[in-house]
Amino acid sequence: MKEKIIGIDLGTTNSCVAVLEGGKPIVITNAEGERTTPSVVAFTDDGERLVGRLAKRQAVTNPDRTVASIKREMGTDHKIAITADGKTTEYTPEQISAMILQKMRSAAEEHLGGKVKKAVITVPAYFNDSQRQATKHAGEIAGLEVMRIINEPTAASLAYGLEKTSDQTILVYDLGGGTFDVSILEIGDGVFEVVATDGDTRLGGDDFDQRIIDWLADEFRRDTGIDLSKDSSALQRLKDAAEAAKKELSSRMETTINLPYITADASGPKHLERKLTRAKFEQMVGDALDRTISIVDSTLREAKKTADLIDQVVLVGGSTRIPRVQALISERIPGKINREINPDEVVAAGAAIQGGVLAGEVDEIVLLDVTPLTLSIETLGGVATPLIERNTTIPTEKTKTFTTAQDNQPAVEIHVVQGERKMATDDKSLGKFQLTGLPAAPRGVPQIDVTFNIDADGILHVTAKDKATEKTASITITESSRLSDAEIEQMKKEADEHAEEDKKRAEEIDVRNQADQMVYQVEKTLSDLGDKITQERRGEIEDHLRRLKEKLSSEAPLDDLRQAMQQLSASSQQLAREAYQETSGAPEGGDTTSSTSEAEADGEADDGDYIDAEYEEK
Amino acid sequence: MMWSEKDRTELPQEEAEQSASAGSNPEAPIEETVESLHESLAKQEETIRAHVDRLKRLQAEFDNYRKRVDRELAAHEERIVDHVLLGLLPVFDNMQRAFANHSDGEEPTQFIDGMERIFAQFAELLKQHDVAPIDAVGEAFDPQFHEALLVVASDRPKNVVVEEFERGYRRRDRVLRPSKVKVSGGSDDDKKEIG
Repeated sequence: MKEKIIGIDLGTTNSCVAVLEGGKPIVITNAEGERTTPSVVAFTDDGERLVGRLAKRQAVTNPDRTVASIKREMGTDHKIAITADGKTTEYTPEQISAMILQKMRSAAEEHLGGKVKKAVITVPAYFNDSQRQATKHAGEIAGLEVMRIINEPTAASLAYGLEKTSDQTILVYDLGGGTFDVSILEIGDGVFEVVATDGDTRLGGDDFDQRIIDWLADEFRRDTGIDLSKDSSALQRLKDAAEAAKKELSSRMETTINLPYITADASGPKHLERKLTRAKFEQMVGDALDRTISIVDSTLREAKKTADLIDQVVLVGGSTRIPRVQALISERIPGKINREINPDEVVAAGAAIQGGVLAGEVDEIVLLDVTPLTLSIETLGGVATPLIERNTTIPTEKTKTFTTAQDNQPAVEIHVVQGERKMATDDKSLGKFQLTGLPAAPRGVPQIDVTFNIDADGILHVTAKDKATEKTASITITESSRLSDAEIEQMKKEADEHAEEDKKRAEEIDVRNQADQMVYQVEKTLSDLGDKITQERRGEIEDHLRRLKEKLSSEAPLDDLRQAMQQLSASSQQLAREAYQETSGAPEGGDTTSSTSEAEADGEADDGDYIDAEYEEK
Repeated sequence: MMWSEKDRTELPQEEAEQSASAGSNPEAPIEETVESLHESLAKQEETIRAHVDRLKRLQAEFDNYRKRVDRELAAHEERIVDHVLLGLLPVFDNMQRAFANHSDGEEPTQFIDGMERIFAQFAELLKQHDVAPIDAVGEAFDPQFHEALLVVASDRPKNVVVEEFERGYRRRDRVLRPSKVKVSGGSDDDKKEIG
């Protein structure tokens, strides 16, 4: 195996490490089980060193020996004097950063189970040469050979694979806990160039929390006359609640902040309960968000670009989860946002990809496509039964066993469709063919293997094979991968829009198929064993049978159908029991699947194990 | 000159080797040798094609496996959350019962009695999951278990937890939530010594 090169996002407030595994960046959790590590270093009384969460927890007890946001000092002559165990030691910003990097490295070594010696480290686009040198130096102190220093916006773009596109202009909007950066990049021939970059080094998610805290404290003071900002216990609870509320409002329109027993006065305990709507929160932070957009505008001007020249927008930093942030950017630059990757991890992920490229690992990975839409065949009742689900990486092969839906059916038709709809007629038809010459057999008995094989070029070969006669028929479909992106999007959209009704329809067909199967089964058992039961019982069963058939042919509502099925099932149970005793080992189960000239097959396709087991017996 | 000379001297050698390996008869006509070489090349190409196809399929399979594992993991997480919530529902039910049965004229002690039982039920649930409170007040401050919110001058020795703002909990050997605490900075005299 090639030597791994890890990717480290060395942040102002938090750091993150990732590594490329099997061609995909994997974020590595630290010893505390967290995916990001606070960029805080502390030295205890006896000279012990703490990094990350633990350093942060003890910061107030040990302010003189706790260092946070060291990134702001990188490349300066600033020295941090730490007195521990009676000795004073001066540390450079590089040395402090190295301690954070060392922790990231240990986490990676723990994860990979071996020494890690090489890394790619990210820096802000605005870092000057001495700041970059200092970062590189920090890596070396941490025992890492720094293979490359890359810009954070470049790393984020790499994580989205944007380097594969040609000649694009990318805007990276990075709103973190305490800093805001915007960068405009141009890619040509896989090379990134930072055209312009700007930001605000004191603007981020922490400010938004503070605004919620202030609002809560004001409201509480107005209601009770008690000032919570003087009460550190209450303040801490406000802080936690504010952060939780902010996060909640990214997915909900309203949240309730509920802090019982927040404080007490002479009249007794006091509780804080406040509803916060998304609109109210957006109003609280509106000026800060507007400010980020005006920085976007000025950066565009600096780059001599207009918004319509931006091909891609990449979101970085936890605060970009705020819907208002995304909305404001969309107003400026519509329809260009990339946000699928966790914005806290996207920079480290990109650094890991760069590491993989430098390690030669990426060259070894053959780029493989995925099927954009599900590939299915039409089965009984017009249901599309999937063989290959969408987003499956190709080349791939999948076989499912189907059967006939009628006695002595001489042929089955294989109708191949593409799309996410549950009914085959709503999907795109790719082709159909027949497998003929099936020997006469009761329905449910023939076993027809249908194999979908997509090669690396996206060409789909569909083969149907009758297991008994070994007869095969096949079709090759070349257009399955040739849908345009717009067509694919349209089909996905339609599937989403119709999801509910499609589900109902598929369920309905499923019940009707079950009813049909039941009728068939009871009739068969009745003709085989009907003489073994009393005339009276036989009459009862036939009566229920007739009723169910009527309901089936009149397309009665599902509930009626289910009721009739239940009655028939109850009355025929005794008969069925006898039948099973008599014919134990017979292959007919209730769940046979089918595909026929009338496009008939049972909707249940998950009987592969059952068929396999039987196949092995033979 | 060097190059052409080398070519001239090496070419016949190569040819000799090739024909020797291509056929048993070194005297075989050149056409036959070429034909057999073509055949062997075609065979090699076929082998390579098959191997590349196998590699791609294996890689695609790995990718699909990873997607499946991710899906299963997400589903698994959901089930774990379900499981935990299921344990909480009886507590919630009983709280609702307490409020439903509570009337204004009722003795408050009855209500408190009920609440105490519900609290005991909740405590039992936490115990079942091996959740235990973290000791804080009087202990030496330890960032493994405690988060310091404030440092105050006190009679207690320096770095001892003097007050707990929010209780911390651990589950087996992991900290679920650290205790949020006030820590002694020692007496003012101590501070002078440090300063």
